[in-house]
Amino acid sequence: MKEIVVIIGGGIAGLEAASQLLKLGYSPIIVEKSDRLGGHVARWNRLFPDMTPAQDLVSELIASSKDANIFLNTEISFINRLKDSYNIMLSNGISIISKYILYTTGFRLFEAQKKEEYGYGIYNQVITNADLEHWFNTNKDDRISGKDIKSIGFVHCVGSRDEKARNSQCSKVCCITAIKQAIELKEKYPEAEIYCFYMDLRLFGKKFEDFYTKAQRDHGIHFIRGRVSEVSENINGQVIVKAEDTLAGKPLKVTLDLLVLMSGMVCNPDSTKSASMLSLPIDSDGFLKSSDNVFHITSSPRKGIYYAGACTGPKTVPETLAEARSAVLEIHSTITGEAR
Amino acid sequence: MREIYLSGYNNFVLPFMIGMIFVLSWCVIGAARIILQLTGEDRKKFFLSLINPKIMAKNVRDWFCDCLFHVKLWKRNMLLGYMHSSIAFGWFMLIVIGHIEVFLYTPQRVHQIWYPIFFRYFVAVTDSTMKGSFFFFLMDFFLLVILSGIILAIIKRARSRFFGMRRTTNPSITDLIGLYSLWCIFPLRLLAEGFTADISGGSFLTKSLNMVLHSFLSDQMNMLPTWWAYSIALGVFMCILPFSRYMHIPAEILLIPMRNAGIKVTHARKGYAKLQVYSCPSCGVCIDACPMSTVKANTKDTTVYLNRQIKRYNERRIEEISDKCLLCGKCTAVCPVGVQGDMMRIAQRSVRKYKLAPSYANIDENALLERCNKFVNTSNNTVTSDRNQRVMYFAGCMTSLTPSISKSTAAILQKAGIRFEIMDKDGGICCGRPMFMAGRIAQAKEMIEKNTAIIKASGADTLLLSCPICYKIFKEQYQLEGIEVIHHTEFFDRLIESGKITLNGSDTRYVYHDPCELGRGCGIYEQPRNVVRKAGELVEAEKHGKESICCGGSLGSLTLGFDKRKALTENALANLTIASPDTIVTACPLCRSTFNRYSDIPVKDIAEIVDEATRKKKR
Repeated sequence: MKEIVVIIGGGIAGLEAASQLLKLGYSPIIVEKSDRLGGHVARWNRLFPDMTPAQDLVSELIASSKDANIFLNTEISFINRLKDSYNIMLSNGISIISKYILYTTGFRLFEAQKKEEYGYGIYNQVITNADLEHWFNTNKDDRISGKDIKSIGFVHCVGSRDEKARNSQCSKVCCITAIKQAIELKEKYPEAEIYCFYMDLRLFGKKFEDFYTKAQRDHGIHFIRGRVSEVSENINGQVIVKAEDTLAGKPLKVTLDLLVLMSGMVCNPDSTKSASMLSLPIDSDGFLKSSDNVFHITSSPRKGIYYAGACTGPKTVPETLAEARSAVLEIHSTITGEAR
Repeated sequence: MREIYLSGYNNFVLPFMIGMIFVLSWCVIGAARIILQLTGEDRKKFFLSLINPKIMAKNVRDWFCDCLFHVKLWKRNMLLGYMHSSIAFGWFMLIVIGHIEVFLYTPQRVHQIWYPIFFRYFVAVTDSTMKGSFFFFLMDFFLLVILSGIILAIIKRARSRFFGMRRTTNPSITDLIGLYSLWCIFPLRLLAEGFTADISGGSFLTKSLNMVLHSFLSDQMNMLPTWWAYSIALGVFMCILPFSRYMHIPAEILLIPMRNAGIKVTHARKGYAKLQVYSCPSCGVCIDACPMSTVKANTKDTTVYLNRQIKRYNERRIEEISDKCLLCGKCTAVCPVGVQGDMMRIAQRSVRKYKLAPSYANIDENALLERCNKFVNTSNNTVTSDRNQRVMYFAGCMTSLTPSISKSTAAILQKAGIRFEIMDKDGGICCGRPMFMAGRIAQAKEMIEKNTAIIKASGADTLLLSCPICYKIFKEQYQLEGIEVIHHTEFFDRLIESGKITLNGSDTRYVYHDPCELGRGCGIYEQPRNVVRKAGELVEAEKHGKESICCGGSLGSLTLGFDKRKALTENALANLTIASPDTIVTACPLCRSTFNRYSDIPVKDIAEIVDEATRKKKR
């Protein structure tokens, strides 16, 4: 009999894990809360640093995992532990008994309206990184379309590295995403001045630094070191951003037609909820806690429960895919080890 | 009554007399020092208040209500009130009746101050003094009252929860000596009077005890040791009194007239501040009240411990306690004596020496005045519109960080047809309250001067504020003659009253959170509630009004980090949501953003709900 592996979450980590499990001859079951697969990446337009269309990646993943059992619009009602396996009750009434559960529950985007001083949801000119990607995909957003946009600002670290927002972790991808989005906007509005307000730029990945240089040299994007203190609106329907240029040591005020907030990654409350049913430990940042943060990042302290992707902390797309494969390999070696 | 001893003296009065003379001289010298430490102006104010019949009447009332009847404690918890007032008032009555007896029966002994205390030892009952049984009864009755209080006090030491107190003060050694000697005084008095009741006369308590004692202790010689014990207990209590919490008994007598004279804490340690420290009865009511006490580690940072450390000159702890406080003022609000924990802490902070003292003197107020819109016609220097139509809205820095509040406020003013301008739309100076709270009074004064100049030159006749932090300092420290300082809650209430705006009620259940600076700080409780009632159904939090719990975000604390404040905010939220409201309404931008961080239900400013409720009408 083929071993069943339950994958919670149909984002890129879940899909990649399912396709790898299928290749190894197991029978993965994907439980996805929403009505579509691909998670956050499916809503993104292009991926840094090569501007790969996100849709290509998602379609490929969906195609390679199509033989898996997939339940859309389904949530976990409860999970309880049996002697050496788990009983998973789904919201559609189906119950699954499996020895292996893979959490690929991912992250949630920080709700930008919580940083009220930036005016998201209050001023019409303030959008988030996700809104911008949605506009890149659909061209539908009244806040952007049909406007004469001459100046654009990006606020880095919205809800990340911010104790006041209850998130002290770095979301890793926003620095490079802001640069990517700034370049994309510059391509659409060549006349516009674009400002990025950052604390420090964390450009750790392959070709990230080149991207940053390109943004400055080829696209003339201004990088201003300093956090935005407050945002207000003027009579002409523009937003006034007050910040401090900490390199110049001077306060700064710019009037903008569009302000993009780089909402960070925060823990997914759904994963915390189902984790609590199995009393899985939660780390101080709110994400699931791996049994070890260096050597065993994909395994939990409980037997048969594995993690992959952003459910254990902010990750990039390649990191997430790599973790999905590594988790599958770990599951595989456990199964074959037991069979021997 | 007939005297038994010619001298009217026995050696056993010595411990009492030593204690009495010691405590009296201590108190007289202490009172004189405190009065001398007051500033000249305050001293004058104090002496003038003593000849003002109105203030004097209030003093007398407060002496009775606060020192003897402990009215504030009765209101808090009946058992706690009874315990304190039975001992205080009972003892007071024993002393008064004791003196009446001496005046009536042995007037020649009035100058011997021990005589009323040990009256029963020195006299014998005669037939002609049968009328004295009235006093005998009263004496026994009040002794019984005190004894019941003592029994309650003993129970309270073990189970303070019965008295409505979750936590009580950890007594110091001197407090314990005072406590145990106080507990001993009255049972010993009962015993002593019990032994002599067949000679000196007595009533239901002492007479019956006498019968019991005589049934197995017939020797009259037992009498003397018990009187000695009674006197020693009194002596010990009085000798330890200045070094224990019982110093509050004499200190409060002076505190009340000083408070009623309107004297404020100006020096950190001297004068009125010193008097407050000694007036602290260490009752520990402030421990439960303190919002920080949710975290057990913080209980030692409450006002009662601040007073104790000031007495001990423990500078390190004084600094720690004063800096940690949120300055929510709840300890001041609940204190049965009237120790001002918040004022005391600001005073401690104000004497701190800093290496750097920022100056705001170089801020150009004229440039700021240029930028803010005014009600003055520049050509002929006249004001532009009618009186009561020149509202200057000062949003303040916290409201600038919560733009939906200023947006809603502006929208409401527009709907009401009020002519207004925003003072700090294009930047402004801080109101000065944060600096004031940090004890940096000189810096705060600089800001106050600049802002005063701008407001006065703007031609405004009303200064509207949506932040209670600004509101408090504008009300208390600014001299803005002819300009009304008003908080937006009051303003909205007035707009609704006068029919300038009409709210469309909904069935949303709102709970109103009293911001510290607005409620306890400025005494505004009713206006916001009136407004909320118009917008929906108002439910109350478990603790509200004067007892409202700080949101935990206060600017008052200089050392509490975000991680430490989380528990305070969660506790305040649990208190607010007890009646399961749909929305939390507050009237402070800082409370709003603090609650928003942890709340499961929406948190809104009163301006936002008023704006929503007026908007619905137009549809």
